[in-house]
Amino acid sequence: MTEYAVIGKKVERVDARIKVMGGALYAADIQMAGMLYGKIVRCYDYAHARVTGLDLSEAAKCPGVVTVLGPEDVTTKAYNASVLDMMVSTDMRTVLGDIDDQNIFTDHVKHYGDAIAAIIAISEEAAERAAEKVKATYEELPVYLTAEASKQPDAIQFRPEKPGNLAFQLPEMAFPNNSYAWGDVDKSFADADIIVEDTFYVPKQKQCQMEPGNYIALYDDQQRLNCWTSTQMPKLVQKKLANLFELPMTRVKINQTVIGGGFGARLGMVLEPETCALAMAVPGRPVKILSTREEDWVTSPSRHPGKYWMRMGFKKDGTPVACDAKFENYKGAYYVDASGTAFTTGAWLGGMYKFDSLRYHGESYYTNQSICGAFRGYGNPQTNFVMEQLVDRGCVELGVDPIEWRKKWHKTIGDDGWCMGVPYNSCALDECLDRAAAAIGWAEKREKYKHQSGNIRRGIGVAVMNHTSGAMPMLLEHTVCDVILHQDATATLNLACSDMGQGSHTTLRQVAAETLGFNYEDIYIATGNSDAAGFDIGAHASRTLYVGGGAVKQACEDARRQLFDRAALELEEEVGNLYMEDKIIHVKGTSNKSISVQTLTDQGINNFMNPETGELIGQPGQIKGYASFFPPHNAPPFGATIAEVEVDMETGEVRVLQLVNAHDVGKAIHPGVVEGQLDGGAQQGLGMVLTEETYYDDKGICLNNSFTDYKMLGPSDMPKMTNILVEDADPTGPFGAKSVGEAGIVPPVGATANAIFNAIGIQILEAPITPEKVLKAIII
Amino acid sequence: MTSRVMRDFDLLLPESVTEVVTLLARHKDKSAILAGGTDLLVALKFDYAIDNVISLALVPGLGTLRFDPQDGLVIGAKVTVAEILKSAEVKANYPALWQAAQVFATPQLRNTATVLGNIMRASPAGDCSLAILALGGTVLLQSTAGQREVDLDNFWLSYAVTARQDDELAIAVKIPAPPSGQKSAFRRMTRTTEDLSKLGAAVSLHMAGNVCQQARVAMGCVGPTLVRLPAIEKILAGAKVTTELLQDIVGSVAAEINPIDDQRSSADYRLKVAGVLVRRVIEQALDNEGNVQ
Repeated sequence: MTEYAVIGKKVERVDARIKVMGGALYAADIQMAGMLYGKIVRCYDYAHARVTGLDLSEAAKCPGVVTVLGPEDVTTKAYNASVLDMMVSTDMRTVLGDIDDQNIFTDHVKHYGDAIAAIIAISEEAAERAAEKVKATYEELPVYLTAEASKQPDAIQFRPEKPGNLAFQLPEMAFPNNSYAWGDVDKSFADADIIVEDTFYVPKQKQCQMEPGNYIALYDDQQRLNCWTSTQMPKLVQKKLANLFELPMTRVKINQTVIGGGFGARLGMVLEPETCALAMAVPGRPVKILSTREEDWVTSPSRHPGKYWMRMGFKKDGTPVACDAKFENYKGAYYVDASGTAFTTGAWLGGMYKFDSLRYHGESYYTNQSICGAFRGYGNPQTNFVMEQLVDRGCVELGVDPIEWRKKWHKTIGDDGWCMGVPYNSCALDECLDRAAAAIGWAEKREKYKHQSGNIRRGIGVAVMNHTSGAMPMLLEHTVCDVILHQDATATLNLACSDMGQGSHTTLRQVAAETLGFNYEDIYIATGNSDAAGFDIGAHASRTLYVGGGAVKQACEDARRQLFDRAALELEEEVGNLYMEDKIIHVKGTSNKSISVQTLTDQGINNFMNPETGELIGQPGQIKGYASFFPPHNAPPFGATIAEVEVDMETGEVRVLQLVNAHDVGKAIHPGVVEGQLDGGAQQGLGMVLTEETYYDDKGICLNNSFTDYKMLGPSDMPKMTNILVEDADPTGPFGAKSVGEAGIVPPVGATANAIFNAIGIQILEAPITPEKVLKAIII
Repeated sequence: MTSRVMRDFDLLLPESVTEVVTLLARHKDKSAILAGGTDLLVALKFDYAIDNVISLALVPGLGTLRFDPQDGLVIGAKVTVAEILKSAEVKANYPALWQAAQVFATPQLRNTATVLGNIMRASPAGDCSLAILALGGTVLLQSTAGQREVDLDNFWLSYAVTARQDDELAIAVKIPAPPSGQKSAFRRMTRTTEDLSKLGAAVSLHMAGNVCQQARVAMGCVGPTLVRLPAIEKILAGAKVTTELLQDIVGSVAAEINPIDDQRSSADYRLKVAGVLVRRVIEQALDNEGNVQ
């Protein structure tokens, strides 16, 4: 194995010190002279209603109010807060049929908390008090919370161009029969000896990122629109805002603030349009909008909930012959991300096992729930809950061990990946399964738990997953990076990649240091300024290390090549005869011919001319490496989780005793960062399968948009956890790395469900698997 | 919907109990008492508005936590849940209260929240309140007219409503000294470890050998207030605590309670498991001597 100087080392994270010491500046912390405060007036009385009257006059008279804004007082241009349309080619955009159906303020309330107006005032308090004086009257409309309700023929249509409230289905042009499919599913089922089938429900899980939606915007004296935001997609949000406010990109600047967690909640725009619209109304004054947790909950996107039907057929020998599935998701009030997740949910399904044939339908229906969008896993946890439970049901009927079956039938190198036509180029899932099984004592426990009686029953279950590193070729993965070498042989990277806390700026810095042959401390990452940085698609699809790292590596290779060219000139040697050690470039086979990197970087700037003769020395100028990088693949990570649980048969309570997560990460650039991602992913995966769901009453009023009423697992709820990093270098990843950002959330979902199945012999079809549901299932 | 900005109020900082009750006599229902503030400040960020907040911060003498083998336990209005946890006397004499304090909210909240505040909140999910109900506590109220005591059986009138008059200050809760042979325990069910109870049970059993002479059995989250279960107490009184008796109890609890569906659980679930929880809390109370046969 290659010995690296910086790669694979647990260096100090770039953000650790400042965050621990309280020095990190989040948007809410930023104060500016003359700052005004915006308060968005939302409808909390109805989830579906027409605004029949809006009287802002009393609010306008309140002390401290600068202005009040109704729907006509801001741009009425429609937009789509998602950035998916910016990630595909213009042709593909047309095929997908994404639409712009959001407005800054609406006169047709479509979900609890929809925005109808806003106040700008000199203080947050004045804005809040004035907002209370806004008088709105409504005509109540029928509320549709599920696809089953909103697809009824007599339902009110959310959008004329989306009949039947079907916001999205896989488009015929790209997906024949509106399905993601191969083979002849109907024929394959005829060959099946065993068929398993069920309809599941997957919940509306919330990202629960620590920082709620806080923003500042300023339309400045140079007529530039500035927005301070913790978006995870600065460059696409810049373009989106430019489009919405009809400004050239040079007049829109994103100042990315420290991100207090993303997990997809900041994938695209959230309240940037509203904040900027307010700022446009008061040129020259910065406007700050601070959300409460409850407000953030219903205005930022969630995971897609919905009904997920699946059917699988097997031959007696275990051969998986067919899989048919349909995910009908409850999209929420607006189109955002209707297309993406509806597709990928099936893509992860297609990418997992060698079924002879497969057919997946993904449909997104408008509902009067808050919007759905990206959330760590992007459809994969939903598929894992359903697919892995059905596989285990099949294994029981086949009488085979679930690990052995998975090892035999999972897709691997050379098989079509999640994106058909793009075969997998690396896969170490067998090793993941073997090592996880050994770590937890799978075989012994599986045997031991076969025959249990009494009030406490244990179970052990497994699940596997495939994911992606960036979304090439489905989406146009692209990062621009430049690296500038300073006179003192240090370097600054300039790029727009986001660090949401996942550690990417640390690992990108490691990639730069290793590639340049510099020390980790020699590198600084400049980010957050959309004026300075070139394009970056944004932090999505676990792509920042794989694609951003690829860009950093390429830019640094470019800089290093220039360094070596200059060294060759100085040393009068061929580049091929040179090597670098401790920032000194030596000639191979000699001990006295060398030049330091610092001499070269300094020479180009401070000493490129002989002061007496005026003769140029060496190659003048500063070295700058550049890359506009497109990854060649999507380097699929694979992973397996084995969960061990204990079920209280008298109360239905489930306790997860132990999780072993074994992940095929290619190469762990920073093992601590990788483990952190797996730990955090498991916490959210366990939450989805055990406790987390946002829900509504019959009228569509959200009942648990707070941490009091919506429960995530806390530190004391977490089981004993073992993370196993399987390092099998991917041929396309930087230093062999594959992604890990989303992978960790996925297999704990299916593994925990399967462990419960193993303990009680019953599958719970609806997540989260609460004690209420378990008890109902086990008490006859 | 919550707000990031609390509504305006006058913060009053009296320096004695006499001053507090004088202020209460003046402001009555236009005032709220601030001790730990963990409920009040949250309410003020919702729709709750109050003109006067009377803080106990500068009032001396309300921080008493005193145990006397004859007179029992006095918990002053400013005693925090964390202080209960630090008391070896509470742990030894009132295990139910100590166990409730142990799982109460989170460490940060335990450092701030007061035991009496938990009682005054009059929530059916109050953990310390539930334990003290089982232990037979009494609230000591003071006004300009003098003092009176109300036992907890008669204190909670309905959800968030107590027998306190609006000119009265609750200055302490008293719990009788445990007779010899008293066993008590608290147990609850939650969605996650750090959560409000979705179902709670506490018992105080006066045991002579394995015979229960007298019992107080209380439950939380099964009605608008915390409740006692008289039928269960009756089953226990004078009975040998056997596995069969406990099974009887399991089957008898549902008829005694009136739970609802809410964000934390369902009425149906609560009815199904309440009996199991009561059995387990009894077993827990007797556990250290293995009195269950």
